[in-house]
Amino acid sequence: MRLWNLIYRMNALPADYFAVFGISPQLALDLPELQRQFYVLSKQHHPDRFARASADEQRYALDFTSLLNDAWRVFRDPVARAEYVLKLLGYDTADSRTNTVPAELLEEVFELNMALEEARDGDSGARKQVAEALTHFTALRQDLDVERDRIFAAYDAAPADTHLETLRSLLNRRRYIDNLVRDAQQALS
Amino acid sequence: MAYSDKVLDHYNHPRNVGSMDKSDSAVGTGMVGAPECGDVMKLQIKVNPLTGIIDDAKFKTFGCGSAIASSSLATEWLKGKTVDEALAIKNTDIVNELALPPVKIHCSVLAEDAIKAAITDYKVKQGADVAALAQAH
Repeated sequence: MRLWNLIYRMNALPADYFAVFGISPQLALDLPELQRQFYVLSKQHHPDRFARASADEQRYALDFTSLLNDAWRVFRDPVARAEYVLKLLGYDTADSRTNTVPAELLEEVFELNMALEEARDGDSGARKQVAEALTHFTALRQDLDVERDRIFAAYDAAPADTHLETLRSLLNRRRYIDNLVRDAQQALS
Repeated sequence: MAYSDKVLDHYNHPRNVGSMDKSDSAVGTGMVGAPECGDVMKLQIKVNPLTGIIDDAKFKTFGCGSAIASSSLATEWLKGKTVDEALAIKNTDIVNELALPPVKIHCSVLAEDAIKAAITDYKVKQGADVAALAQAH
């Protein structure tokens, strides 16, 4: 029993979300298959199953389960997953080296924010402009998601830093567009 | 998170909100953004061609209270300074003045970037004017 405890104490938690599922880091994931794995692992490590086990085993089951839940929550959302992979590989948004946004997009974002402000103040012309912008930005976001999936596949087939840089700037753009779509929907509701 | 009194003051009573004619050769415009929060900041300076001193500064920021306060404070500081003095403004000066917490330091970085972008735009315009002048003669 003492040896068993020792093994459990040495049994460190998986180093990252991919290790939780026992897969190698990748951007494109087979979600239905991953969900099956999620249920299998959830069952295997469910804390209820360790109610009579040692304190170390109980703690491990609890820690593993919470890590597993975090991993599944991040992996099921392609944007959160991409952000996670980029962070693992050193392409975090907080890094000023990677936070450039094209000037034209900033101009567009600024103009739409001005229109949103006017629409909130009850300007009907601005309302129309916001509605048009909402259609435009929703379509743009769909295009970005198609492009994102293309980069996922390209990176997984042949991992190269250029794909990660492209993905980083794509996600930066997408974040602005996401905020705009949300604000425009709010202004029009 | 609690904002400092100075942040609240600038947020509730922002100084120098507005915009100037982008095509004016004496006006420099800086437009910067921070994708991690979706902020966008426009900062403009108007330089007196005779004295080289920044006569006026305007800003418009869509973002959090700290981003608005940082750019509002920046425009206050810019007025009356020469372009070179303005370049010496550091984000840490803004952090100290507004008592920004660590999670809001990027707002001050954004303001410093906006100042630098506005000055660069102004200088490029002056350079372009010199070239146009040389060509005309």
